[in-house]
Amino acid sequence: MTIKRIADSGLMIMVIYILIFAMYGAVQPSALSAYSIQGLFNNSLPLMLAAAGATFVILQGGFDLSVAGTISLVNAIVAVLQFDGALGAIGMLAIALAAGILVGAINGFVVAYLKVQAIAATLATMIICQGVALLILRAPGGYVSDFMTYELTGSMFGIPVAIIIATLVALLWFVFRRTNAGRNLLAVGQDAKAAELSGINVARTQFFSFIWAGALYALAAYFLAALTSTGSPSAGEPFLLLTFAAVALGGTAFGGGRGSVTASLLGAATLVLMQKLLFSVGVSSFYTGMIQGMIMVLAVLFSGAVQFVVDRRNII
Amino acid sequence: MNQPYSTADKQDTRQAQRFSSTSIAVLAIYSLVVLMIFGSRLVSPSLGGLSQLMTVLYLSSFLVICAFGQGLVIMVRGLDLSVASMITLGGVLSTTFMQGTNEGLYFIIPGILLISALVGMISGFGITRLSIPPFIMTMAMGLIVYSVCLGFTEGTPRGFPAPILNAFMQSKVFGVALPILLMLILIVIFTTLQSYSAFGRKLNAVGNNPDAANIAGITVKRMTISAYAISAACSALAGVLLAAYANGATLRMGDDYLLPSIAAVVVGGSSILGGRGNFLGTVGGALLLTTLSSMLSALGVGQGWKTVLEGGVILVALLMLREQVFASLQSMFKRSS
Amino acid sequence: MPERINITNLSKRYGATVALSGVDMGILPGEVHAILGENGAGKSTLVKILSGVVSSSAGTISLDEKCIRPSSIIEARRCGIATAFQELSLIPNMTVAENILLPRASSGRFWPESKASIFERAREVLIEWEVNDISSQSIVADLTLAQRQRIELVRALSHARCLLILDEPTAALPDTSWLFRQLHHLTSRGVSVLYISHRLNEVREICQRATVLRNGASMGTVDLAGVDDEDIFTMMVGHGSSKKKRVSQESSTNGEVLLETYQLRSKMLKGINLQLHAGEILGVAGLEGQGQQELFRLFGGLHKPTSGEIRVGDKVTSLSSPRKALQVKPGIAFVPEERKTEGIFASLSAAANISIPHFAMTGWAKLVNGRIERHLAAEAADQVGLAPRYLGFEVGHLSGGNQQKVLLARALMTGAKILVLFDPTRGVDVGTKQSIYSMMRHFVDQGGAIIFYSSELSELVQLSSRCLVVYDGLITDDVAANEISEERLLASAHGPGNARKDSLQEAV
Repeated sequence: MTIKRIADSGLMIMVIYILIFAMYGAVQPSALSAYSIQGLFNNSLPLMLAAAGATFVILQGGFDLSVAGTISLVNAIVAVLQFDGALGAIGMLAIALAAGILVGAINGFVVAYLKVQAIAATLATMIICQGVALLILRAPGGYVSDFMTYELTGSMFGIPVAIIIATLVALLWFVFRRTNAGRNLLAVGQDAKAAELSGINVARTQFFSFIWAGALYALAAYFLAALTSTGSPSAGEPFLLLTFAAVALGGTAFGGGRGSVTASLLGAATLVLMQKLLFSVGVSSFYTGMIQGMIMVLAVLFSGAVQFVVDRRNII
Repeated sequence: MNQPYSTADKQDTRQAQRFSSTSIAVLAIYSLVVLMIFGSRLVSPSLGGLSQLMTVLYLSSFLVICAFGQGLVIMVRGLDLSVASMITLGGVLSTTFMQGTNEGLYFIIPGILLISALVGMISGFGITRLSIPPFIMTMAMGLIVYSVCLGFTEGTPRGFPAPILNAFMQSKVFGVALPILLMLILIVIFTTLQSYSAFGRKLNAVGNNPDAANIAGITVKRMTISAYAISAACSALAGVLLAAYANGATLRMGDDYLLPSIAAVVVGGSSILGGRGNFLGTVGGALLLTTLSSMLSALGVGQGWKTVLEGGVILVALLMLREQVFASLQSMFKRSS
Repeated sequence: MPERINITNLSKRYGATVALSGVDMGILPGEVHAILGENGAGKSTLVKILSGVVSSSAGTISLDEKCIRPSSIIEARRCGIATAFQELSLIPNMTVAENILLPRASSGRFWPESKASIFERAREVLIEWEVNDISSQSIVADLTLAQRQRIELVRALSHARCLLILDEPTAALPDTSWLFRQLHHLTSRGVSVLYISHRLNEVREICQRATVLRNGASMGTVDLAGVDDEDIFTMMVGHGSSKKKRVSQESSTNGEVLLETYQLRSKMLKGINLQLHAGEILGVAGLEGQGQQELFRLFGGLHKPTSGEIRVGDKVTSLSSPRKALQVKPGIAFVPEERKTEGIFASLSAAANISIPHFAMTGWAKLVNGRIERHLAAEAADQVGLAPRYLGFEVGHLSGGNQQKVLLARALMTGAKILVLFDPTRGVDVGTKQSIYSMMRHFVDQGGAIIFYSSELSELVQLSSRCLVVYDGLITDDVAANEISEERLLASAHGPGNARKDSLQEAV
């Protein structure tokens, strides 16, 4: 296992996560109970899913600001539909995914085929989605079925559902990365021109990266509704900055071509864990933002330093 | 030295473009604004006209100031996500230190600008010397600054702006509000700085091709840092004015200006990738967005539809501003001439 | 025998620029067909159209009597056309195996193929084309340029069923034997090859016929056995080869020393000692990658030496940045080889591009507009032969030759007395080359000094007052004007012993 492989696979962020978890456990022993862990992962999952989605776009060298808008939109949709029971939950999941994929398709079309810059285009779609969310759900409220609220945030066979979902996403990435679509995604991120000359359909690869992102954002919004047992038209707002902080923390480079979805999942989990740690240590909530900001900068510096070392060793 | 010109040059019959693609975009935006303001009179006599023009100009002045800084940062291939927090900083610092009196005004305002410029320089430093992506660095600085304001004010900003400032925001000269005049003066200064000064040319070069700029002898890092410093100072200035307008500061006062500052720059024709930008276009973008917003409010349109339409306008502007559209527009002009 | 591939009146316009204005040619099955032409004649556009990268504006391509119009690399491959590009199209951080098998690296139906299986399949491809020294598991970024070139070639070789297109395939290869063997394998199966290269002797060795392009149009197809180089040159340029007269230069190596180095060392340089005198054009010759690029970038302030001394004027200095290099009296201006990535400000006007040094070195408050820039740039533009009407154009819209003129005018504007030029006529048409040569001579006549590197030996012979040859990080030869010849430079470029061998042979 070369240093490069270790750095790319997200092992680094895994170690950091474990360290912080150990610190958290030391400061607050009650955090290690099954109930607390379940709560921790329930709180982490929406950000984890959002970061996973954004990673698909960032890996091919693009950018997706619409995470906030898509989550608000899907969250509002879920809150407005009033389906009950297991079947209802599945039905709403399908609708939620469809909505997320639709937004992703629009983003993908505008960026990959109409050739508008990703940051600008997704900024526009984000604003439009926020607007539509307001049209669907004027104020926080709506209805989320008991089934969703209890089952999704509970445990199955002793393992929190949230962990199961996160693991499934990590498995999805594990397989996807080895398919042609996955390889081509990374190739486009490394060198779009060379990828095109190698026969990769760059536009299609970019298009589908947005679709994956949209689907995962929708999943995040769906789970968020179950978690908060309500919907809100501005549910996505906090996700805008935190999603990219999570991706950066996980070590995925913003230029594309390097990184992994699993690392972003862990980066998001680490961010949420850090918040909990700071809170339990007694840091005034006033200064949480400041510490988060500094940690973000340190994380990027650290991952940049690792990359620097890796690159140097490769030039033999 | 009389050099023979190559055959290829002789066969090249192109003319230098009279009107660059950017000027066309700028013209289009202003026409649209004028159309909207005066055309809406037809929809309803209570809308549009000179009074609405005045309102729009007044309200957009804050956004115009932020958008200048944001435009400079975007020009050097960056993004400034700390705009909202810097506005809050400007507002909080001004109300806290002015305490409702005119004392010390003459060094409080420069002091605020200096402090915010320093914050911007820290961002610029992280971006140029530590290779931190602008998105992350400015986001982090914004979080830190907000957090400091939060802690400093313990959740509730206190104090009031100096009475002179209040008066300034409310006075008129020849029927034109003073802030509008201020904005016009700033537009002249900012446009000169960005498009007609050595500083602007160097910044443009840096955004266009940082490696080439370095080889040409430009201190790329210093120029980039100054863009971030100016942006931070602009946002803080907007915060000071906003606090004077609202007669107080709130912690979230800057929230409504971050995304619109980016949108104004982008709609105004600047490339989000940097190296190509025109402040007059940005002003047009800011006017367009403010006009749209105020007109929709006047028509009683709900927040939902307002947001959708604003996003839609940005999207349409982006689609129209692509290179291909311009190329075909230009060839259309050629064929007809 | 009927031609298998027929190209009729192929044209391509980009807006107002005409890249190809009517190419007619045919390729026989199993033939190796050369495409010859100056830089800018349209060769790369032709390659792009046939490879599926861009679509033609007019004209037809027919393969086996069927009209084809490949709109992507994959579609071209389906027609049986594969290309090895000049700028290699490999993905740096992926393995050789993945690169060879892209875009369908994994052949599994429902489940991704295992890594071992992918490596094995790629290994088979490598073995089929006689590449035995590169493992399919290596990361492309770790390979040398020559190795990467071979991988690029192997990929194209493995996909070419009807036509193989090679764009400057031997640029990085130490010798041609391996490639030519593989081409023989292909042609014996009836596959045609389109061979684009500047190296006439190679072309004569492997190709049967050649089509010459000039200014976007095909000038005709010739049988290489029946024409000599002079005829080909005439077709390429439109007139007889201008007797490359050497403008006699009174020994211009007597001027004061403006730039001097002593035992300069860096990653690739092993101890460079040189002197640059006022009034001289110092040429530098060498094969690719012998350290000349690093040396020039050192002079440009973009690279730091690990040890050794640099004297500018007569002061020892450290050139820590391009700005420093410009400021040190009498001033060093560096013009790099990659004008697109390191030279031009594409969306600014030519006048702005030229006059930027004026503003770089002065304060920030100076006012400027288009007219002032054009005024400032006028004289420098005149010296490089840039037509005044181009001053108002966006530089991105100018031809490669005019862009190069803009960069050279910018160097003149800096007021530097030392010009460091790396391959200043790369990708530039014949007329522009002459303008650049004139500018260079005029510059040194006025007391300046130029050190320049060129990959074209004839250019070095024509222009240099003196020529250094670089090999393996050292200067192995210092050729005076009266001894300079292409043969001498070529020999020295291949190693220190050769020059002496050459002169020995002449003596005998």
